[in-house]
Amino acid sequence: MDSNTSAQLLSILQRYVFNVANLQGMLRMATPVILAGLCALITSRAGILNIAGEGMILFGAWFAVAGSYLFRNAWLGLLAGILSGLLVGGLFALFSLKLRAHIIIMGIAINTFANAATIFMTRAVFKVAGNIADPRIVGLDPISIPILKDIPILGPLLSGYTFPVYLAWILIVVTTIFLYRTPWGLHLRAVGENPQAAETLGINVPRIRFAAVMASGVFASLAGVYLSLGHLKMYTDQMAAGRGFIGMAVNTFGAGEPIGVFLSSLLFGFVDMIGYRLQADRLLPPYFISMLPYVATLLALTVYTLRRRQAAKAALQAADTDKE
Amino acid sequence: MPKSFGGILRRFVNLGLSILLAILVGSLIMLWYKRNPVEIYRLLFMSAFGSQRALFISLQRATPLIFTGMASMLAFRTGVFNVGVEGQFFIGAIMGTFVGYAVKLPMILHLPLALLTGFVAGAIWAYFPTIMRQKLGISEIVTTIMTNYIATYLVSYLVNYPMRESPTTAQTPPVKATATLTQFVEIGKGALGKGSQAHVGIFIALAVVAILYFIFKRTKLGYEWRMVGLSFPFSQFGGINLDRTFIGGMLVSGGIAGLGGAVEILGVWRKYKDLFAIGFGFRGNLAALLGRQDVIGTTVAALFYGSMEAGAMGLDWAAGIPRQLIDILVGLMIFFMAAEGMWDFLGRIKIGAASTERRTTGQES
Repeated sequence: MDSNTSAQLLSILQRYVFNVANLQGMLRMATPVILAGLCALITSRAGILNIAGEGMILFGAWFAVAGSYLFRNAWLGLLAGILSGLLVGGLFALFSLKLRAHIIIMGIAINTFANAATIFMTRAVFKVAGNIADPRIVGLDPISIPILKDIPILGPLLSGYTFPVYLAWILIVVTTIFLYRTPWGLHLRAVGENPQAAETLGINVPRIRFAAVMASGVFASLAGVYLSLGHLKMYTDQMAAGRGFIGMAVNTFGAGEPIGVFLSSLLFGFVDMIGYRLQADRLLPPYFISMLPYVATLLALTVYTLRRRQAAKAALQAADTDKE
Repeated sequence: MPKSFGGILRRFVNLGLSILLAILVGSLIMLWYKRNPVEIYRLLFMSAFGSQRALFISLQRATPLIFTGMASMLAFRTGVFNVGVEGQFFIGAIMGTFVGYAVKLPMILHLPLALLTGFVAGAIWAYFPTIMRQKLGISEIVTTIMTNYIATYLVSYLVNYPMRESPTTAQTPPVKATATLTQFVEIGKGALGKGSQAHVGIFIALAVVAILYFIFKRTKLGYEWRMVGLSFPFSQFGGINLDRTFIGGMLVSGGIAGLGGAVEILGVWRKYKDLFAIGFGFRGNLAALLGRQDVIGTTVAALFYGSMEAGAMGLDWAAGIPRQLIDILVGLMIFFMAAEGMWDFLGRIKIGAASTERRTTGQES
């Protein structure tokens, strides 16, 4: 009986967790969340609450497909997506930082605007409703890394993804170096932690914040590019599906650290991947599976905050006993 | 709320210019469509106000927006960015539907019960993000968005499985006649509101507006809601029970959204079709922003938005211009309106309105 149960458990674990295809799926599905998390990270570290990531992802995804369709070239699609991120990020920064629009109001308006605008443009430009799927849209090809790909297990696990997946990993490293090893990163952190003090030190606070919002636009648009060209090769209305906000949650779990964002994004990649498996196995009605990432976000936020509270309380108690 | 005449004037000039700018951008879009903007705007206007039928369709589209607009306004005023109005609307709608078809009662009890259920369901749905913010300090923006997605899928599940009427269509059984809100067509035997599904729910919407207006103007509760929204630490110092005020405000906000969902079902649709009403909540958010988080302003904005939506549907049908055009234009109006720095020159026209300190980063408070 006991050995039977453990054998069953093992096979379930193998089916849902420990096989290379699953781990690949996890890394793929984590990619847009990593990029959305970086979007939230770079602005929150500059002391800005940017909730427009969702809208920026939508625009990135739309323009990537439009660019790829127009130029018959995936890389130019990628470029178009990034440019849209710079443009939307720039406008967002202009309105909320320079023209003093309330940044949350601006965020709510941009997200709703992006939703309407992409639906509108899909109908106006492509004369279709719902999604843009056309053989002339060129997707980004998977890239095999020469020597790495021949190593067993590690090869398939780390090689054979499309460009944005690698880019997300690289950007985690680059952001870490930027934050902690460059003067600009130091300035950005100073602005986020104490803008008045930073200003006294001669740091140009508005400029740093403007640049941070532009950068967040690029990160978010890359998440969109991955969804439409790296993962699917098509555009679907509302395909961001809340990832802009999940990115904000991931940034919270990661405590604003790039590596933390990466690790907590893997958790969401895992949830997404499990969802696909469950869907294939028809274990749950599809609606409950689609709910998983959002329920997971709420649960994770609750557990994370409770644990942090407990840790703070424990630290206080420890300090008290030290005194006595 | 600026009390001075100058402040009000400045606000109207700001609003007028924002609308004008949005209309200009809209004209560019139409030119790109190779259409004459004047012609298109005339068509938009006629489809919204040009006939009795158009007016009633406008009224029908505006009714749910008044509810979601009021819900958003109330939350924004208490300093909570409840962007979960969308989900609360769905949950209220599906629970109202359920009571509408599953319960057998005389009309005098049935209809109020269905409406009350919608209200309570919406409030319960708002309860989770509220308590997460209150007890754990988790930002309501992320959590209310998450509950929107969960609500959407939950309702789709209910409509597709346990509440499904027949295997062929994804919808619930029809609501019993004792729970419906009468449509104007049914009252006037076709003389009134022909071709529309406008219904007496508009009076419930206006009653909500009146009650909220009274609460904000005349009661201690309204004062507390306003104070909590303006300054959290200050109102605590002033002796307001923050927890109660905050939770109460958010629950009533969710309740109004849920009531709106129930009214929309019992008045217009009379059964729940899967995905019948995407976007009412988000449009309500925008209406509250357009109306400057003010009871009357938001009501006017909701009526405006609703009629423009009716106009845009006519435009879509007659000229093939996607009706999302109107959401784009309203979005632009809000961008322009919110961009205070753009209107600095208005302040220099000696009208002496005190400009309020704006949070620019959203984190300093």
